Amino acid sequence: MSWRTLFKFELTAIFTNPSLLFTVFGGVLIYSFLYPLPYSQQLPREQTIAVVNLDNSQMSRELERMVDATPQVNIAKHVYSIEEAKSLLIKGDVHGLMVIPTHFYRDVLLGKSPTVAYAGDASYFLVYGTIVEGLATAGGTLGAKAKVSRMVMSGDNLVLASEQYSAMKLNMRPVFNPTMGYINYVVPAVFVLILHQTLMIAAGILGGGQNEYRLQGGTGYWLRYSAWKIVLVRTLLLMLIYIPLVAYYFGYSFSSYHISRLASISDLVAMTIPFLLAVIFVGIIIGQLIPRRELATLIILLSSLPLVFVAGFIWPVSAIPAPINALAQLVPSTPAINGFLRLNQMGASFEQVINWWGQLWLQALVYGCIAVFLVKRNQEQGSVKQVLSE
Amino acid sequence: MAFSTQCYREWRILVSDSWLKAMVFWLPVVLFFSMWLIFSAGIARDLPIGVVDLDHSRLSRGLVRYYDASPTLAVTNVYTSATEGSHALKNADIYALVVLPAQLEKDTLLGRAPEVTAFYNSQYILIGKLINSAMVQAQGTYTAGIDTLKNMADGSPVPLQALGQAVPIQSQITPLFNSNSHYGQFLVSAAIPAIWQILIVATTVLAISAEFRQKGISTWLANSPINHVIAKLLPYTMLFWLQGFIFLWAMYGVLEWPMHGSWFILSLSQLLMVMACQSMGAAFFLLTLNSTRAISLVAGFTAPAFAFMGVTFPATDMPFLAQLWRAMLPVSHYIEIQIQQVDYGASLADAIPNMIALACFGFVLLVAMMKAKKIATIYNGSVNPETKNAVSKHSDNKGTQA
Repeated sequence: MSWRTLFKFELTAIFTNPSLLFTVFGGVLIYSFLYPLPYSQQLPREQTIAVVNLDNSQMSRELERMVDATPQVNIAKHVYSIEEAKSLLIKGDVHGLMVIPTHFYRDVLLGKSPTVAYAGDASYFLVYGTIVEGLATAGGTLGAKAKVSRMVMSGDNLVLASEQYSAMKLNMRPVFNPTMGYINYVVPAVFVLILHQTLMIAAGILGGGQNEYRLQGGTGYWLRYSAWKIVLVRTLLLMLIYIPLVAYYFGYSFSSYHISRLASISDLVAMTIPFLLAVIFVGIIIGQLIPRRELATLIILLSSLPLVFVAGFIWPVSAIPAPINALAQLVPSTPAINGFLRLNQMGASFEQVINWWGQLWLQALVYGCIAVFLVKRNQEQGSVKQVLSE
Repeated sequence: MAFSTQCYREWRILVSDSWLKAMVFWLPVVLFFSMWLIFSAGIARDLPIGVVDLDHSRLSRGLVRYYDASPTLAVTNVYTSATEGSHALKNADIYALVVLPAQLEKDTLLGRAPEVTAFYNSQYILIGKLINSAMVQAQGTYTAGIDTLKNMADGSPVPLQALGQAVPIQSQITPLFNSNSHYGQFLVSAAIPAIWQILIVATTVLAISAEFRQKGISTWLANSPINHVIAKLLPYTMLFWLQGFIFLWAMYGVLEWPMHGSWFILSLSQLLMVMACQSMGAAFFLLTLNSTRAISLVAGFTAPAFAFMGVTFPATDMPFLAQLWRAMLPVSHYIEIQIQQVDYGASLADAIPNMIALACFGFVLLVAMMKAKKIATIYNGSVNPETKNAVSKHSDNKGTQA
């Protein structure tokens, strides 16, 4: 009954469990390639649109050329009515349309400010946003050009006019993800969730399998050692397995996808330890509560999508109903994603994320106690059964 | 055993297993409802931004009021220095920090076109994009107002003409098929089918493994294996089809989100979707004959499905390998039909290619059936009762007995 034999028992239990190994090593490795795969182009480019040019003037054709020259938009079709453009949209040949009204050129010269209509397929927000961005850039540039040429015509200096065509300028600067790349957006948060889910499944399968065996009347080392020792050894071993995997994600994977890693190693370690602890304890709890081990995978699998959406990086926390948000705070993924994103992507100092860090430690503490309690309870039930059957 | 008795037997297994019951009856409701609840606000409003006003003029205060008046933005914090503001930006207390330069008013009146800089958090892309367009719009309106007034002061007496000079080309931007850019309609209508796919594939595995636990898979399959597998799947086909109808009805009937397509095409493709997912589930279990490994495969297969569906990031911009993986997921074909129907009101002809793709998952079922047949022949062929027993009990607990 020494510590050494307990370590040996636990090690054998982990490394002879193919489902656990598949989830941990297979899952973490495969997902590190599979998950970023759809986003490898980072930005949607050259979205196809149809143009309805009702003016056919020199200026309207210039607008077309400017639109086509933007990286976001590609003019795929020229059509003669909005109806035609609509049918192209429904067939999926194009994703947006631009309508240049009749007398567009004349109205610009007369200073009547004609309206150019842009539309995009908002069934896909990213496609819509890209198209509108491209069209608005081109339209804005043409507008500024028209304004400058009018200023020059009325006697302004060309250099001054090209600087002063607007009363005020707005310089929008994206920070933390300056290219607005999709990998840089999704991967840093989802990788934390992948570590979270696979580790929780591993702890859940391990405990769940033993629980399943116990319910069938079986016995094993996990009923003979005291509960806190089992929880401690299991946690230590799983942590030792996961620390290299965390390093692989935050180190190799991030740098191979060119994702920024602004946090210092010591800050990352400080955040990782309570994160792993809390996740393992929740996994152990789940394992003790389920009658069959595959249910651990199932429960954790089903929670994935809701957990992504409540983490606050997709949908603002202020828009999430308070009860849902309160529930989300109980799961380690919420503070972990928020903490890691701030440290690694936004360059926050450790003092700024100390609340998330504290939340993780609190979770680790509470879930650790519950885990030990449940293991102990199941041990007692197991031995009662044994006594009865004897 | 008659087919109907077999189906009835399935029903008995279903109601006696609390986990199967959960997967079919209440878990879907809880999951679908909570997905809707998360996005129930629909449109992001009053996103917090911070302002550093170095000018403190009438003009700069007016501009700040314009930002605050935008429905998307709310000026929640005013900082005295940019350092202070960037601290808050890094902590995501605010999603954007606007710096109004000193002498903004003076430079504007002198026609020097001063520059307002706004730093916005693009780590949260969706939120960042909302902030960006709201800021551009607010600023554009304010600047156009100043320009128009200036033009009128310069001597163009008609306001419309002054406006025309300030804004030579106006634009009208229309989000088609989702006219108020409602996030619920956009994300929830895609996330629910993704969860639905997980539920169907996983439940199929659980349902077959329930048989496994009761008296062993081989005894179950011994006589007419094909019939048994179909009888196993069919009750669930109906239940999941009903689930599909219920979530569509909840979204487009109860919540009254716009729906332009045909319920018939939608229902038909949902039936194909359910069968495709069941085929995958049956194959996962029958090929591994181990419920834990089968569920692990289900997890690996379905968990990243949402990323591959092509709703958040367009499928046309995915590399070939991603498109290949995407084609292997039933839900990515189904969601195309759903969007075509609900948003575009497309015809049956437009839906047919995706329906054929869903029907192709029948081949997977075929493979599963062949495996079932093989299990049955091995079982029937074994004369020795001891091997018979060994085959039928096929231990599921190897890993835990160490």
